[in-house]
Amino acid sequence: MADKKGSSFWESKKRQNFIISNILYLIAWSGAIIFVIPLVWMIVTSLKTPDEIFTIPPKWIPISTVTLNYDINIKAKQDGVVSITKREDGARILTLGTFNHVIPEVAVLQVKKGQKIQKGETIAIMPKEGIVKIIENDNKTKTIKIVTKEGGLIKQYQLPENIKLFVKENDVVTPGTKLARINPQWQNYVKAWAPEALDETFNRYLLNTIIITVLGITGVLLSSTLVAYAFARFRFPGRDILFLIMVSTMMIPVQVTMIPTFILFKYLGWIDTFAPLIVPTFFGGGAFNIFLMRQFFMTIPYELDDAAKIDGCNYFQIFSIILLPLVKPALATVAIFGFVYNWNDFLNPLIYLNSTSNYTLALGLQTFTTMYGTDYNLMMAASTIVLLPILIVFFFGQRYFIEGVATSGLKG
Amino acid sequence: MENVKRSKISMSTHEAIWGYVFLSPWILGMIFFVGGPIIASLILSFCEWDLIQPPKFIGLDNFIKMFTTDKRFWTSLYNTFYYTVLSVPLGIIGSILVALLMNQKWKTVRLLRTIYYLPSVTAGVASAIIWMWLLNPDFGLVNYALSLFGIKGPLWLADEVWSKPALIIMGLWGVGGNMIIYLAGLQGIPQQLYEAAEIDGAGLWGKFRHITIPMLTPVIFFNLIMSIVWSFQIFTQVYVMTGGQGGPSDSTLVLVLYIYQHAFKFHNMGYASALAWVLFIIILIFTLIQFKFAGGWVHYEGELKK
Repeated sequence: MADKKGSSFWESKKRQNFIISNILYLIAWSGAIIFVIPLVWMIVTSLKTPDEIFTIPPKWIPISTVTLNYDINIKAKQDGVVSITKREDGARILTLGTFNHVIPEVAVLQVKKGQKIQKGETIAIMPKEGIVKIIENDNKTKTIKIVTKEGGLIKQYQLPENIKLFVKENDVVTPGTKLARINPQWQNYVKAWAPEALDETFNRYLLNTIIITVLGITGVLLSSTLVAYAFARFRFPGRDILFLIMVSTMMIPVQVTMIPTFILFKYLGWIDTFAPLIVPTFFGGGAFNIFLMRQFFMTIPYELDDAAKIDGCNYFQIFSIILLPLVKPALATVAIFGFVYNWNDFLNPLIYLNSTSNYTLALGLQTFTTMYGTDYNLMMAASTIVLLPILIVFFFGQRYFIEGVATSGLKG
Repeated sequence: MENVKRSKISMSTHEAIWGYVFLSPWILGMIFFVGGPIIASLILSFCEWDLIQPPKFIGLDNFIKMFTTDKRFWTSLYNTFYYTVLSVPLGIIGSILVALLMNQKWKTVRLLRTIYYLPSVTAGVASAIIWMWLLNPDFGLVNYALSLFGIKGPLWLADEVWSKPALIIMGLWGVGGNMIIYLAGLQGIPQQLYEAAEIDGAGLWGKFRHITIPMLTPVIFFNLIMSIVWSFQIFTQVYVMTGGQGGPSDSTLVLVLYIYQHAFKFHNMGYASALAWVLFIIILIFTLIQFKFAGGWVHYEGELKK
């Protein structure tokens, strides 16, 4: 009965487009989720304790509950003949076949040495309940001990900072009792910011990076606008050839110029200073930025220049009073790209900066990784710190990024 | 204000002089930081120099050694090509597909664009570290996701077969940067073309095949050249993920990392310069080939221009 209606529904082009559009929408969002997961995972990991990091399946919320967990009846894991050795701490090692059971001192053994038992048989019985003892450690962490009336240790939990305790001193607890909740570990950020294994804190790296970035952006803005102005507004012999050369330098790998430039700076005594990272930006500011600025200048009508000339403006006044205010969006774009470039730059600081007190965030972060190779929570906290300014600038300056790429990428 | 018309030099000379004045920062930069160093590194590539002893001219020895006895050079060349051959086409196809999606008229499309674009601005040490964690063989999200489909994930960065694919996957996370370029290209295609094609009865595929792709070819061309240039220069990710080693067993030793090792670890400035020049020439050849064959497939709008 719905056949006729159904077929017209499917055949109608509008409906078809509607359905395709919805499928594409679903694909687009699925992709977007995959794209954003690495950053979300970075933040989630940065708030975890070391124990929470290494779990399968992965935990998406950096909160976990610590539950008192032990078997009252300890059962044999293999068949075999019992052999028992005593450990220094009072625990007994009970060997069955190839398997070693560690039986705490507080457990009552149910088997004897030499006895033949089968897998699954109870070999020891733990106390049915215990008493909570809370110990405050020096480093703001707590240790919870569950002990018998006589004081024998049943179980012990080492808890991190930032927890909510569900039990009080001397509470009586049984297996399954929730002892505490581990909250997000905000202090990972403090630990990552001032790492014990590094000579410097991230304060220093941040300051260095800000100095380099601010001066680098200044250089790029000043020189790229001037040069772009020349290319956009002046007629002089060789202009088009020079412009072509300028654009083709974008295709020259920096590695070709890297070594002689390094040697030049070495002779100038600039190694381990910020100068090699800053001074070159005042000499042109990069082909990409010049190109971008020129494209923007080209969109401004010449009549403005002519009117200003009649009013008695010289070239520099035309540039600074008339044109610059009109290309503010382009300036913002160049500044933002300059910010991202300097903030993320790794190769240049790696080559030129030697002492840790001169390191940038990128170098500091790399060093941090080599020192804290498996502390992924701290590594993710440090990465978040380094990325945060980029993310903030990105969200506020998004349209400048997009305009910039659109202008330069196309008219090439 | 001096009246320029009355001065002895003509108006156009005056303009030209000022043009050069404004251009001068760039000209100086070209001499000291681009042109000069390029020539210097060419000269250095025929020398042996450890920065302590004076440089010694050794003719073609660096190049002969490189092509005949230096196995690590060939390894680094192979790794760089491997990375480029896979990451450039995948990156271009990926970014065009995402751009096509982001060119739809959805309410949330701006948010989607932001999400896709975001990873490309985080490129650097931090994102390399994030991927080291994602690709952790035992506790990484990637292998966990694979395990949900019953696939046992590889050791990624610890496996010489999978270390390069790992770098490529990580690179693809940054397709958002190129996506913006293609998006701008898509938005520049005149709507009338599609309308005309619809009247002629073209379907979605027909419009894509005969309008979208041809109109995008100039952008693809530009992007292809730059993508190859960039992918030949891959360095930071590799350095961070392998601690500057290019391991395991040189499987991620890319050309730029090898140049870096010779220049700044072993202080073989001459040999490193020779390597850099080989990189330069490879990029140059690739670029020239692309320009040569561009006429065959790149469509420039002539009469279509508004």
